[in-house]
Amino acid sequence: MSDDAFSPEPPPRFLQGLLQSVPIALGYFPIAFSFGVAATRAGLTAPEAVMLSLVIYAGASQFLALALVTSGAPVLVSAFTLIAMNLRHVLYGPALMKQAGSGASRRLAWGWAWGLTDEVFGQALGALARGQRFSERWMFGLGLGAYAAWVGGTAVGALAGGGALEAWPALNAGLGFMLTALFLALLLSILSRAALPAIAVAAVATVIGTLAVSGTVGILAGMICGALAGVVRR
Amino acid sequence: MNTDLVLLAVLAGAANWAFRALPTLLLRQEPRPGGLAARFLAATGPAAIATLVVASALPQLYPVPRDLIPLAAGVLATVAAYLPRRSVVGATLAGATAYGAVFWLVS
Repeated sequence: MSDDAFSPEPPPRFLQGLLQSVPIALGYFPIAFSFGVAATRAGLTAPEAVMLSLVIYAGASQFLALALVTSGAPVLVSAFTLIAMNLRHVLYGPALMKQAGSGASRRLAWGWAWGLTDEVFGQALGALARGQRFSERWMFGLGLGAYAAWVGGTAVGALAGGGALEAWPALNAGLGFMLTALFLALLLSILSRAALPAIAVAAVATVIGTLAVSGTVGILAGMICGALAGVVRR
Repeated sequence: MNTDLVLLAVLAGAANWAFRALPTLLLRQEPRPGGLAARFLAATGPAAIATLVVASALPQLYPVPRDLIPLAAGVLATVAAYLPRRSVVGATLAGATAYGAVFWLVS
């Protein structure tokens, strides 16, 4: 927890945040690369793939956007699905500011908060919990390193093209599993006893919706039924 | 550039920015614990992610099961890598590596 009045160390600088973003960037680059490859394989151009990473900047949402676009789902249904998926980010800013302390500035949050992905949030919260002070320029550095790796990885993957990995079937298979692994790891990161009803209902509703109607209906059914299960539980 | 794709990106991106920035800028206190808003917010994230885990794995299981051994290895490696360090990125990379390695071994 940072405490300006009693901490002798100066607030962390932009460069410190950038350095702390290196582990995230190393993880983001190959995932973004596989997104770029998947996007071009799905028929998108390289500029379209990079645009998705620049404008959406949410890994799981972007992979899902590919699936929805290629399945011909209506734009508004797709947008609703992507938006519902990232609603959890609402909690990140308040949780981070609570850890930063009541005197922490949030004047430039309109800028640095764009970079509050799951991993950046986790890294920032962990650093503050270990006693590091909070500063907005540090948050900019932390977020920018991860963002640059994400957009850069997408560009390299998209330029390599959808056929880039055909000569490397095992690498292709591993990258193809990355999305499932990312979702599974995210699920583990938010797993709790309180979340179990929502998770169980969402999983069952997704299977029923997919098998009975289509993949898009399965995704919508899972998210809506799961969220309602969380609201109605006692 | 595909107009529908740009519209989808702008809608999703604007919502992402709003979810990440507006609570920090506007909310000075958390939702009432146990209230409807708090419960909805708490349930939406897990529901969305659980849905996506199932939706991403289901095509490999139904209608024709394929590559089940790499799938099992990838899932186990993801869980095993996540538990000690609680790193989403590390677990993702470990799972994908295990999947690719086992795929190479059995194919």
